[in-house]
Amino acid sequence: MTEKKIPQASLDKLLARLQERGTVYAPGRGASGDVALLEMPQGEPVLQDYGNFALSPKAFFLPQTQTLLRFRDGKAEEPSPPDRPVFLVGVRPCDAAALLALDKVFLDGDPRDPYYEHFRAKATIIALACTQPMASCFCTSVGGGPGDGAGADVLAVGLDTGLLLRAQTTRGEELLASLADLLAEPTAQDSQEADERIRAAEGQLAPARADDSARRLREAYDAPLWAAAGQKCLGCGTCSFLCPTCHCFDITDEVRNGAGRRVRTWDCCAYPLFTLHASGHNPRPTPKERWRQRLMHKFRYAVENHGRFFCVGCGRCIRNCPVSLDLRTALKEIS
Amino acid sequence: MSQTLSAEQGTAAKAWEPKVVAFLCNWCSYAGADLAGVSRIQYPHNIRIIRVPCSGRINPAFLLRALQNGADAVLVSGCHPGDCHYISGNLAARRKFALFRELLQHAGIEPERVQFTWVSASEGGRFAAIVEKVVEQARKLGPNRKLVKSL
Amino acid sequence: MTESPQIESRLRETASGLLREKKVSLFLGYEKATLPFRTAPLFLTAADEAERLVWNPFCSANLAVYLPRLFKAPADAREAKAAPAPPTVGVVLKGCDARSVVALLQERQVPREKLLLVGVACPGMVDRRKAERALGEHACLGAGEDARGNVRAVVDDGTEVTLRREQIVADACLECRAPTPALHDLLLGTPVAGKQADAARRRVAELESKPLDARWARFQELAARCIRCNACRQACPMCAGCKTCLLDQTRPRWIGAGTDASDVALYHLLRAFHLAGRCTGCGACARACPMGLDVRLLSRKMSQEVEDLYGFRPGEAADATPVLSAFSLDDSQDFVTEP
Repeated sequence: MTEKKIPQASLDKLLARLQERGTVYAPGRGASGDVALLEMPQGEPVLQDYGNFALSPKAFFLPQTQTLLRFRDGKAEEPSPPDRPVFLVGVRPCDAAALLALDKVFLDGDPRDPYYEHFRAKATIIALACTQPMASCFCTSVGGGPGDGAGADVLAVGLDTGLLLRAQTTRGEELLASLADLLAEPTAQDSQEADERIRAAEGQLAPARADDSARRLREAYDAPLWAAAGQKCLGCGTCSFLCPTCHCFDITDEVRNGAGRRVRTWDCCAYPLFTLHASGHNPRPTPKERWRQRLMHKFRYAVENHGRFFCVGCGRCIRNCPVSLDLRTALKEIS
Repeated sequence: MSQTLSAEQGTAAKAWEPKVVAFLCNWCSYAGADLAGVSRIQYPHNIRIIRVPCSGRINPAFLLRALQNGADAVLVSGCHPGDCHYISGNLAARRKFALFRELLQHAGIEPERVQFTWVSASEGGRFAAIVEKVVEQARKLGPNRKLVKSL
Repeated sequence: MTESPQIESRLRETASGLLREKKVSLFLGYEKATLPFRTAPLFLTAADEAERLVWNPFCSANLAVYLPRLFKAPADAREAKAAPAPPTVGVVLKGCDARSVVALLQERQVPREKLLLVGVACPGMVDRRKAERALGEHACLGAGEDARGNVRAVVDDGTEVTLRREQIVADACLECRAPTPALHDLLLGTPVAGKQADAARRRVAELESKPLDARWARFQELAARCIRCNACRQACPMCAGCKTCLLDQTRPRWIGAGTDASDVALYHLLRAFHLAGRCTGCGACARACPMGLDVRLLSRKMSQEVEDLYGFRPGEAADATPVLSAFSLDDSQDFVTEP
C-alpha cells in the first residue's frame, strides 16, 4: 500500500485542505484541559502528548442520542443525516480497529443499520500511531497494535520531521492521491524510523491473557471469581459508554399530544434494569451476572459469533472504573 | 374557553402569549379559583389549571416536566399553613418548595418561572391578582427557552 | 508524619480478628488496584486474607455505597425464603463515608446492629485526575505515600516525583468539615479537624455573586459534557437504595434517556433535589464521573440551604428525622408569591 510523507510545516495545509472537503475533527484541548476530537477550526490541533481521548470516536457512528424518526398527524418522517464528508484525524489505532467490530454488528446482519452505514460511508479515518502506550493499554493482546492500521483509511506515524502516511484502504489511497502536491516520497530511513517507533511502543505494552479466551471463559462460567469481582461493580455505565466497541442501545418514543419522535440512546448491560423483564424477573439479577456477561460478550460470544474480540485494549474501562475493576485480572484468573 | 382554544389553533401571526400551568390544591386554591370565576372576577386566560388533592402532592418533577413540555411558568398554590385539609401536607410541601426555588435560582433559571403561593377557598380576588402577577412576569421574561424540550 | 502504615496494620488485625471470631461475616475495605493513584474495594470474608487490606492516600471510594444493597429487603416471600440472613458487616469508613452511613441510618436503609463501623481519621484522599495532570506528559508507573503524607510517584523516565498532598486532594476533601468519623465502633488514626470550614460556602457564594445567565452558563458547561452514563448516581450511597430511580422510570417517563440539553438539565436538577438534606458531600459522584464534571455543583447549594433554612446538617445524628420528612410551623415563607 502507498506510503507518503508530509513535512511538519505542511500539516496545517493538509488540515485546511480537508476542511474544504468536509467537516474535520482533530485532537484539540477542550475547556476541561483534556484532549478530545474537536471540530475544526478550533485553534492549535494537538498531534502528540495525548494518550487517548476520554470518549471513543464511536459517537460519530453511533450517536449517544439519535432521533430516528419524527411523527405527527399519523405521518412519520426520518430526519436527513448530514451529508458532508467527515474526516476524523488523530484517532488511535485501537479506536480505529473498534470500527471493524462495530461493522460486524451493524453491517453484517440483515437488515443493515442504515444510520451507521451512512455515517461510516461519509467518514474517512486518519489514525495516528501510538508511541507511548499507557499502563492500561493492551492492544497487542487482542489482535491490535500501536502501529496497526486496521479500521483506518490512513495510518499516520509521527517522525522527527513530520508524519509518515500509510494508506490502509482504497479510500485512503484516493485521499493520499488527492493530496499529492502536499506530500513527498518517504525515504527508507523514514520508513525505518516509523517501524522502530512502533516496535518500541509494542515493547512497552504489558500482555493481557486474552489467548484462548472463548474456551477458558466457557469452562469458567460458574467460577467463584465472578461474584468476588462482580460484587464491587456499581453498575455505573462508565465502561460501556467509554468503550469503543460497546454498542447496546435503547429505543424510546417520546410523545407529546400525539406528536413526537423515536430516539435511540446508548444503554449498558451493567445497568440493573438492562435485562429486567416486564414480569419482574431479571435473568441477570446481581452485579455478579452482569460482570460475567461483560467478559463473556467481549471475549467469548464475540469470538464464537464474529471471530474477533469485542475489545481493542484501549484501557478506558480500566482507567475510569470508579472501583478499579480490571478485566485483565478476570482474564488472568479464569485459567 | 372555546374562544381561547380556537384563538390558539390559529397559526403563526398571533403575538406570543405566555402559557402558565397552575397546580392548585383541591380544597383551598382550586375552590378559590372557582370562587373567582363565580364572582366574575377576570383573570388572564393564559393559565391552565391542574387540580391536585394537596400541595403536598406536588413532586418537583411535575414542575420541571411542565416547563420541559413548553410551559413558560408554573404556579403552585395550596392552603395557608395551618389550614391544610390533610393537616400538614402544605407544611411538608413548604420545605420542598423553598429548597426547590433555591435550586432553580442556583442553576440560573429565572425564579419567576416557578412560583408558589397560598390561596384559601374564600380568596377569589387574591387568586386572580396572583395569576395576573405571574402571567405578567412570565410575559416580561419571554418564552421559556432554557428548559423546553423540542421533540 | 503519616499514620498510614500503623493504620494499615491495625486494619488488618481488626479485620482478621472480627472475621475469625465471627463478629462479622463480611469486612469491606480497600486493596491495591492495578493502576496507580487508585485502590479497589475489597470484600473480605476470610480472616487469613486480611493482609490484602491497605490504607493509603488513594482510598477514596465511599464504601457505604454497598450497604443498602447488602441489606435490601426481599421483594416477596419466595425471595425471602431463598435469601440468606442479612450479613453482619464490618466496614472501613472515612469521615465522609461515616456521614453517609448516618444518613442511611436516618432513613432506616441499614440496620445499626448489623454494622461494625471502623472509622479512620482522614487527611484527605487523592483525586487521581489531579495527580495525573500534575505529572504532565509523564506516565506514572507506581505511586506511594512518603513519611510526610505526600505522594511519591515513579514516572516513565525512571525518576521520582513528589506531589504535595494538598495540591492533589479531591475537591470534596478540600471542603470537608468532618474528616474524623463521628459515628464509629472503633476509631483509628489521630482525629483530624475539619479544614477550611467555609470552603464549600465560598464556592456557592462565588457562583451566587454572578448574574442569573452566568449561573445558567456554568450549569450548561456541565450539562454540555454530560453523557448520561449515570455513574454519579450509581456511585452515590444515598441513591443506591432506590429500587427504580425516578429518572429511569418509564411509566410515567419523567425524562428522556439521552443527552438532549433539557433532559440533562432535569437529570441533574432532580437528582440534586432528591439529595437535598441527604447528600453528605463525599464526592463519590464527581470521582465516578468519566468526564470529570463538577457533579456537586447543585448539591453544594442544597446542603447549604438545608442548613441555613432548617438548621440541618446531613449525616450528623443517626436518630435525627430527615429534613424533608419534618416541618416546623416557623419554616421560612420568603419564597411565597404575594399579589
